[in-house]
Amino acid sequence: MSVAKLLALDKVAKLFNIIKQNGGIRASLYKLYKQEELKDGVLVGEDKFGNKYYENPRYFYSRNRWVEYSEKVHLNYDASQVPAEWYGWLHYKTDLPPHQDPSRPHYKWMAEFTENLSGTTGQYTPYSTTRAKIEPWVPKPKTGA
Amino acid sequence: MLRQPLSRALALTSPTRAAPLAARRFAEQVQARPDNVEVFIDDQPVYVPPGTTVLQAAAQVGVEIPRFCYHERLAVAGNCRMCLVEVEKSPKPVAACAMPVMKGMRVKTNSDLTRKAREGVMEFLLVNHPLDCPICDQGGECDLQDQSMAFGSDKSRFTDIHFSGKRAVEDKDVGPLIKTIMTRCIHCTRCIRFASEVAGVDDFGTTGRGTDMQVGTYVEKMFLSELSGNIIDLCPVGALTSKPYSFAARPWETRRIDSVDVLDPLGSNIVVATRTNEVLRILPRTNEEINEEWLADKSRFACDGLKRQRLVTPMMADSRGNLTPCEWEDAIVAAARALRDCPPDKLVAVSGDLADAESLVALKDLLNKLGSENTCTEQYFPLEGSGIDFRSSYLLNTKIANVEEADFVLLIGTNVRFEAPLLNARIRKAFIHKETDVALVGPKVDLTYDYMHVGDSASIVKDLATGTSAHEVLKRLESAKRPVVILGADQLKTQEGSALLAYTQELALRLQDKLQDKNWKVLNVLQRTASQVAALDIGYKPGVGKVLEAGPKVVYLLGADAGVVTRESLPKDAVVIYQGHHGDVGAQAADIVLPGAAYTEKRATYVNAEGRAQQTLVAVTPPGKAREDWKIIRALSEVVGERLPYDNLDEVRTRMSEISPALVSYGDVQDNNYFAQARALAQSLQKPVSGKLDVQLKTLEDYFMTDSISRASPTMAKCVQAVLKQKQSPY
Amino acid sequence: MFKVISHTANLTRSQLSRSLPAFSTSATRLAGDPTSRKEAPIIDNESVLTLPEKAKERKALDTAIVVPVKVDLSPITGVPEEHVKTRRVRIYQPAKNAMQSGTNNIHHWEMEFDTRQRWENPLMGWTSTGDPLSNMKVQFSSPDEAIEHCEKNGWIWYLDIPKTEKQFKPKNYGVNFSWNRRTRVSTK
Repeated sequence: MSVAKLLALDKVAKLFNIIKQNGGIRASLYKLYKQEELKDGVLVGEDKFGNKYYENPRYFYSRNRWVEYSEKVHLNYDASQVPAEWYGWLHYKTDLPPHQDPSRPHYKWMAEFTENLSGTTGQYTPYSTTRAKIEPWVPKPKTGA
Repeated sequence: MLRQPLSRALALTSPTRAAPLAARRFAEQVQARPDNVEVFIDDQPVYVPPGTTVLQAAAQVGVEIPRFCYHERLAVAGNCRMCLVEVEKSPKPVAACAMPVMKGMRVKTNSDLTRKAREGVMEFLLVNHPLDCPICDQGGECDLQDQSMAFGSDKSRFTDIHFSGKRAVEDKDVGPLIKTIMTRCIHCTRCIRFASEVAGVDDFGTTGRGTDMQVGTYVEKMFLSELSGNIIDLCPVGALTSKPYSFAARPWETRRIDSVDVLDPLGSNIVVATRTNEVLRILPRTNEEINEEWLADKSRFACDGLKRQRLVTPMMADSRGNLTPCEWEDAIVAAARALRDCPPDKLVAVSGDLADAESLVALKDLLNKLGSENTCTEQYFPLEGSGIDFRSSYLLNTKIANVEEADFVLLIGTNVRFEAPLLNARIRKAFIHKETDVALVGPKVDLTYDYMHVGDSASIVKDLATGTSAHEVLKRLESAKRPVVILGADQLKTQEGSALLAYTQELALRLQDKLQDKNWKVLNVLQRTASQVAALDIGYKPGVGKVLEAGPKVVYLLGADAGVVTRESLPKDAVVIYQGHHGDVGAQAADIVLPGAAYTEKRATYVNAEGRAQQTLVAVTPPGKAREDWKIIRALSEVVGERLPYDNLDEVRTRMSEISPALVSYGDVQDNNYFAQARALAQSLQKPVSGKLDVQLKTLEDYFMTDSISRASPTMAKCVQAVLKQKQSPY
Repeated sequence: MFKVISHTANLTRSQLSRSLPAFSTSATRLAGDPTSRKEAPIIDNESVLTLPEKAKERKALDTAIVVPVKVDLSPITGVPEEHVKTRRVRIYQPAKNAMQSGTNNIHHWEMEFDTRQRWENPLMGWTSTGDPLSNMKVQFSSPDEAIEHCEKNGWIWYLDIPKTEKQFKPKNYGVNFSWNRRTRVSTK
């Protein structure tokens, strides 16, 4: 057991390391503001939406894989922005990230991934296919006059 | 003993051995009338008039004998055999519906023999009846279903399914109202008897015998009757079911609300079946004084018109004159401004066919407060002479039920069959059972029974009234003990209307004065619409002719859809406010539309043609933003600044009772007098008449669509099409 | 409950009246005096066969409890005032279903409340109502009981009685075949 460890200096070093990896004090504060967490890790990959996926086995299981959402969404990030192929890796269904997984099927009919649009203008609104019980009268438009 | 003729059985004065003891034992309970016969139903004594059937006698003591073919308003057929009961000393079970009682007869309605007989009949009926109750529309209200549960065997001996199977019969097409599944028919012949006895259309009959027996119309033909819907009710199984209602609901799912029909002037009592805030079907409700247990087709099937062409939101004309939906506030404020800015003498209210008494009263009060007296109805009635001062001048004074007792009926310018189908059914009943004769002045129409056609010229009425006619009818009328004269209200529209009314009054009163029965009323005027009597009671002026000539500025149409007020007949700048429930003629002509409630959606009073006030009850909620009619007028009065002094229905009804107590005495009808005064006032109007009498509704296709609800009904439209198609066919 | 009371009341009454001589002139009934009877009293099977405790219970039911004053329960029933003051009760005899000939279920009186607004529930399309009394149909054996019940609860009531009993007319099978009357049937 080293002196540095006894004095918890390694923790301080780790902090500096984390700040360094995140791009300095200013950038770290910004990241802290954005995702309320500051971690260091290995960048495993990035999806086409710009979300970055990190891994650091030093952290406890279930916290050792995480996503940093794209800068484009700023604070409007949402768990449903993680595309389906990364979802499996992020939730430990697989250890192979999508770009390293050879057996992942790719068909041309597979739909583009969309995030959950509930609460936005793009949301799905169900409509009734049954006929209305009361059929209202529609006045005939007046011609001439 | 049971086989001896009835007359001899009745002549037997020596009582049977059992009788004296029983008579003494129950002397306090049953009063024996001398001419009545004593019979025992399950050892309960009952005294009934001779000739009564066993089934009727049992009904007197509350014992209900199961039956399929027997119906108390139809002739006895005695062919279903379900009513077999054991009679003591009789070797075989007897059919209770056709067997007249005999003195001392001991009937056992719950003995082993009776039960065995019922079980046997039930088994025979079910051999050829499909077991499709889950997909049958009658399921849940089926006599066969219920009676097989109550009286049938608990097991089946039917094993023939692989060899000859069940009998199957081809379905018949009898029009757009009745769906037939003839395999289900058990040959009770109720529909045949109804068609020939009550509806007067001898279209139905049976062909073949035994297994080959079929009920049908011989040739494929529509059932051309205005009472056709009743055979759906009569059918004890699911052979005849309602086509518009098919597969719609089960009886236990629906909510039933007792109400009153307003599509004809009789105010038949109905039951409105609703589910999920929708009117699904309308059934008759027994009222011996009005509709017995029948219902006319328009009243029964036009209910799908309540879902089409509805006014669901207030509307106002935009800058281009097109009606556009708006909020209640805007519509009310606009209407109030129009009413307030209008000079009182240029303000007119016109009430229509389906207006209820509450809204009529509210509207008249509002107009009177604004200083206008121009409230009128669409239907005309002559104001000369006594006019509408005496109730007796515009009512069916004989009363609907009493028409049955008449021995001679004279119809003047009315086609009762389509103007009031159930009144016609009563006349037909009298014609058949009481040998009543009928004469008609007016165009030759099919009334379903034979009548003397006197001619169609109005001068015949004059000749009859003055007693100068050489026609046989005059003699018959004068010799009649209970004559009835019915004048169609349509005839009063013409120039000669007042003279015609005067002559009819003269004729009726001349006959009435000579009668033995001083309470018998002869004069009847048959109104065409459900609202007219109430409107006249309240003091609406009949007819719009005069007020329209004066060039009104604001016209308030209260459901006026008969088309007597048109845009062309009004000045260019006139404002038309329409309040009602259907987008029809009136709404199309309007600048402001206020959506009201139809008769199934409000608790409202209607007075029928005989002057009987009845109320409809709320069955469903008015659609969208529509509101109860009197409340709309009440709200409008608040904005106009002439607040009407009633805030709830009870207060409106108190106000109605101030106008006329008859408007709120529900279910009752008063006797009318003042015939002599009306006649005296009409003396001067007896001018020579020369016109011809004509009626609006001549044939069946005219009957179906007469008001805004039935005009919006797809079923009624189909009926018209079907009748027209039937006319093309060679049969 | 009411039915039971009235039924038992009827039962006992008929027993009593049956054992009474029809021409009794004295106001007091001398049950033990054999000279007042011409024949042996007729005792019906039921009264012999009933257990003593059953008979006692029936007797207790027969003596009606008389409540001296009119009671208004509405302040203590907990029914909201809106549903006491503004509701209207219709007392009626249920109408016979026109589709059927049976009449077994209509020999009683019912009360129902006025129909209040219903609307379609947007979630499932079912029909909703805000009216807690919309399904309350109470059956009574007589209109008087229904009226009493309504008054006790402070509801405004009205009776609705259409005329349904008809004049008794004997039916006759023979008229179908009479040669000189219009009742003769043409089709069969």
